[in-house]
Amino acid sequence: MPFISVDQTDLHYSMELCFAGAACHLRTNSSALAGVLEGLSISRGDTVPSGFDMRVLVDDSTDEAAGEPHFRGLHHLVTASFGRSNVFMFDILRRTLTASVSVAIERDGHFWKEKLIPITLGVLGSAMGLVPVHCACLELDGDGLLIAGVSGAGKSTLSVALSEDGFNYVSDDWTYISRRADGIVAHGTSAPVKLLPDAVNHFRGLQGHSLQTSMNGELAYEVDIAKAFGARVERACEPRWLVFLERTQGVGALFTPMSSAEARRYVNSSVERLPPQLYEAVAMREQTIQRVSILPCWHFRYGGTPQFAAKELQEFVVQRRQEVYV
Amino acid sequence: MTQEQCRHPDLLRRFVPTPYVFSICDGPNRLLVESNDLEIALRVRRAGVVHRQSNRAGGMVCKLIRDMAGPVEGSEMTIVSDGPLRVLYLGRGTLLFHDDERSELLGFIARDVKAEELVSSLIPALLDA
Repeated sequence: MPFISVDQTDLHYSMELCFAGAACHLRTNSSALAGVLEGLSISRGDTVPSGFDMRVLVDDSTDEAAGEPHFRGLHHLVTASFGRSNVFMFDILRRTLTASVSVAIERDGHFWKEKLIPITLGVLGSAMGLVPVHCACLELDGDGLLIAGVSGAGKSTLSVALSEDGFNYVSDDWTYISRRADGIVAHGTSAPVKLLPDAVNHFRGLQGHSLQTSMNGELAYEVDIAKAFGARVERACEPRWLVFLERTQGVGALFTPMSSAEARRYVNSSVERLPPQLYEAVAMREQTIQRVSILPCWHFRYGGTPQFAAKELQEFVVQRRQEVYV
Repeated sequence: MTQEQCRHPDLLRRFVPTPYVFSICDGPNRLLVESNDLEIALRVRRAGVVHRQSNRAGGMVCKLIRDMAGPVEGSEMTIVSDGPLRVLYLGRGTLLFHDDERSELLGFIARDVKAEELVSSLIPALLDA
């Protein structure tokens, strides 16, 4: 029976990293993995006060590629496995990630960027004051726009259309929100933008890309938005508005105010229910959700192409900024 | 916003109801067993292997879920250890956590693993590793 001890004395490579506003102290036995993760790390800007420890042992006796994901959790512990040789153990109370991975995963930058870093922020984020919210985030001249909506409402296609229309891209699906003294900060992870198959009808940049099965089993294009569409990517911004998308039949666009209670319900619905053992994380998360829900909020009901919706939304944002600064 | 949109997902199956709860007190020590499977709860309650671990003040909490929705592939056992934490993986579908500092034994048991094997083999392998 294999017994894998992630003994810190064997993890010779140590590094301070930062992902989506969360400081990460990495220890590993692999210089190659340290290099991969350093390449994904961002310079420290607005970081949350509590970071996390990541301890990764690369097992050079196996080269098993990432298998089907399997997640389970109880109390403060969560595990994710991607095949027999790639196992990840999250301790939310101690804010640690312990992992044993194969040499195939060691150098797989896509795996860490597109899967493991977002999963880690999702699982440990609440204990660090970083709330994963199911929304896209774009930025225009320093002002952030959060775009929420149920799956299929068009968050990702609208994000790409806005990115082609002058906005900077932060995230298209999950945005990590942290608090600071004077407001909130929205962080992205540079995860790929995920577009459903019919998006190829709206974006020529998708031609030449192939559909992939994503982690939730959906068939989708998963592309680097900067490479595929030439978008400018921002790591973080300060959100000013929250827009809740709803698709309608027929072409048209309508903005109506949304109450903060309704916004709060939406954000609450997108975060994972936490067990009672994590009451401090729940309390911290509540404060952040409260801050998000008091942003000016609107329903945006639209029908038509993503480019049409982007134009409408851009005009709306320009008007809102004039209201603020006049 | 509909009720459906407000529903919290339980992607990790943290909130599977565990109606079978047994509590055993032995002096200052207490063993609490929770499960959604009566046979697992009864066998763990009776097993000396768990009781042996509860020899510190405060005792031990065991929460074990019979995971009917998980995969059943594979039979290789692996234990990963880091400080006070240990996780035992059996195939893809069975996993047991042991947090020594918090005296908690938690886990998901695949549908093809018998309660007898859990108590006589898997739990001792994890606690004694």
